[in-house]
Amino acid sequence: MREGEPLIQWEWIARNGDQIIGRLVQHIGLTVIAVGFGLAISLVLALLIYRRRALYGPLSGIAATLYTIPSIALFAILTPITGFGSIVTAEIALISYTLLILLRNIVAGLDGVPPDVREAASAMGYSAWQRLWRVEMPLALPLIIAGVRVATVTTVGLVTVAAVIGQGGLGQLILSGLRSFFTTPTYVGAFLSLALALALDVSLLSLQRMLTPWARVANVAAGPR
Amino acid sequence: MNELLAWLSDPAHWSGSDGIPVRLLEHLQLSGPSVLVAMLIALPVGAFIGHTGRLTLLAVTIANVGRAMPTLALLVILLPFILRAGLGLGFWPTFVPLVLLGVPPILVNTYVGIGQVDRDVREAARGVGLSGWQVLTRVELPLALPAIVAGLRTASVQVIATATLGALVASGGLGRYIIDGIALQEAPRMIVGAVLVAALALAVDRVLAGVERRLAAPSTSLAVERSRMAASNLVK
Amino acid sequence: MNAVDLEFRNVTRRYGTVVAVDDLSLLVPAGKICVLVGPSGCGKTTSLKMVNRLIEPSEGQILIGGRDVMAQDPIELRRGIGYVIQQVGLLPHLSVGRNVAVVPGLLGWEGKRIDARVDELLGLVGLKPGSYRNRYPAELSGGERQRVGVARALAADPPLMLMDEPFGAVDPIVRERLQNELLRLQERLAKTILFVTHDIDEAVKMGDLVAVLQVGGVLAQFASPAEILAHPASDFVARFVGADRGLKRLSLSRVADLELLPAMTARDGDPAAPLKQRLSATAFPYLLLVDEDGRPVGWLDQDDLPGDGAVAASAAVSMSPLLSRRTTLKDALSQLLDADVMAGIVVDEQERVLGLVTVEQMAGALRDQRPAAAFSDVKEVTVDDA
Repeated sequence: MREGEPLIQWEWIARNGDQIIGRLVQHIGLTVIAVGFGLAISLVLALLIYRRRALYGPLSGIAATLYTIPSIALFAILTPITGFGSIVTAEIALISYTLLILLRNIVAGLDGVPPDVREAASAMGYSAWQRLWRVEMPLALPLIIAGVRVATVTTVGLVTVAAVIGQGGLGQLILSGLRSFFTTPTYVGAFLSLALALALDVSLLSLQRMLTPWARVANVAAGPR
Repeated sequence: MNELLAWLSDPAHWSGSDGIPVRLLEHLQLSGPSVLVAMLIALPVGAFIGHTGRLTLLAVTIANVGRAMPTLALLVILLPFILRAGLGLGFWPTFVPLVLLGVPPILVNTYVGIGQVDRDVREAARGVGLSGWQVLTRVELPLALPAIVAGLRTASVQVIATATLGALVASGGLGRYIIDGIALQEAPRMIVGAVLVAALALAVDRVLAGVERRLAAPSTSLAVERSRMAASNLVK
Repeated sequence: MNAVDLEFRNVTRRYGTVVAVDDLSLLVPAGKICVLVGPSGCGKTTSLKMVNRLIEPSEGQILIGGRDVMAQDPIELRRGIGYVIQQVGLLPHLSVGRNVAVVPGLLGWEGKRIDARVDELLGLVGLKPGSYRNRYPAELSGGERQRVGVARALAADPPLMLMDEPFGAVDPIVRERLQNELLRLQERLAKTILFVTHDIDEAVKMGDLVAVLQVGGVLAQFASPAEILAHPASDFVARFVGADRGLKRLSLSRVADLELLPAMTARDGDPAAPLKQRLSATAFPYLLLVDEDGRPVGWLDQDDLPGDGAVAASAAVSMSPLLSRRTTLKDALSQLLDADVMAGIVVDEQERVLGLVTVEQMAGALRDQRPAAAFSDVKEVTVDDA
């Protein structure tokens, strides 16, 4: 950040390509693990809520409280328990942040199944388990994937903060530039994390479209008969 | 645990420029004004978009970018520009990104909240003779208030969280404890900072949630009644 | 699969202190349609849902083919019963074909058998399999959806069908078409059907047996539609059926139930003189002009016929309503009254003349359920065959 120095030095990028890719991969890995576990846990919780609705209040309240805690604070609080720079520390916090949106969206998705569809499914002879997995979950998929999208994008941002406690993929690039007053790595890190978030968002949107062919068709108006 | 209590009971940590009260104040001095300025920007723009229904694409884009933007990234991207503007480290490098981060939630909630005001109510207000501006201020804004406060709540929590990161660019505030604690390998310091920040965020969230609930509590019809009465008062 | 009978034995359903169904007992013989009809709150839907155990009875037994439903596994039970509801409940995420294939799939049929069955059923309900198999429910109109619903319910060839206001959500024109098609299907398939509706006209039209229920789940009368219309068992039933039950009874008989009066027909260009002579001898002095296929063209009255020369089509006067043998007497009478004529022309599927029916005959049918021949001497005139 001395006067006259360009913000981005491209030779640096070329020279350090490996490190950059490495950080990117690490970043993706941390994100996928967090969202993956978050989804699994939220599914289990949502199934419990499906059985007993009264659990929704307390569970979403806990998720909401966790979500409100600033990420860096949660990373810091966990550090003495699970270790500094440990992937577990980062992941516990990252997973916690995905719970609120995923839980809400899964429950909302299941709630959104039309009652006549539920009734017809039971009357046709689906067992309760079959009905849940073959009828209700597929219909809840759009909302669930929407939740996964938001969770993923948010997590990408939070992973950069985890750099402060020694984990963090692209966040390490950002911080290293900060510490050495060298802007290039920070810009590379910042830009890539934003690009990654957007890229994942778009891919998940395509995934959603692929998995729900019937939703596309709903836009076609039925002809009068 | 013992170390923690020891750290907290040390009076030195409660006084002076690195004392808890000071740091807390600094944190509020960073967060408060940021949210205020964000409101000053986001409320009018959001109100315009919600009221007229135009520029929604802009609003949606802002919302998406705001959600996808990693906060740390924003902080460091803007740093060189702020430094080159001669504003120095400390306050401004954190303040500007905080404002930018606070805008999207308030903007989105404002325009959605106003946009979702019942069409019937809007038409009734126009029918009674209110001008566009009056419809906005006397009818739409009051009815959208719970949504707006919700946006304020999201923005405030986000700002408080990111203000913590400001310590990386030499700002004060509770983040100082966390960053210094990590650098100096002083676990108690780090944890105290983290707990205080968490408590602050939760407290602000709880207070604003209460406000939001109290605003939403009177039923829509009551709120509609009130605005209709207010509207008719104007006509007299 | 052969149809089975369905029996309710002292079935009661309570919700706390509220009685939804009160000691209901009735027997639906195999292969018949029984309609449960009544106002809101009479327990008709509750009764229906107890058959496939979506709701369970508080007391009493429901027997399908002699087997108590409570003694069977509910899932297995439901796979053997077809279920059609008003909003259809098609699974939005499955194509039409896959929707129809649900129960066979659950029963473990093999793929090819299922595919063949799906196509067969779609054809049965009037939907071209090629066009409809891969469409999604969201693309269909209300009538199309309900047809798929019926196909789906028939897929595993269940002996018993439960239908809860299945045609309630479509417009009257589509509803009538669907009702007729169901009746036509039933002629082929002879399933035992329990049908719920709040519409007494639908009940009279669809049911072999009708159970009229009162608020509180009490059975007011269980009999054939004709019996209920002719002899309502209580004031409630009389009121529910409506003051026009006399006219409603006309909807139970069809044109085919009447003895067709022969029509004197002629074609364009036939010699007029002999016809004129014959006409003057009859009490009904109108000549029905037909085209070369035997389809009615118009009426000629005696005075329109020239003394000699040929019959001229151009002199014919406008048509009476054309009736089919299947038309109910109620509809037939209505058309005749609308057109302000005394007689309607009965035609076959190719619109060729079969004979005449008159308003008087219909009134006679109402009186004594036997068709009265108003113009008996017309029988002596030879009929020009189509």
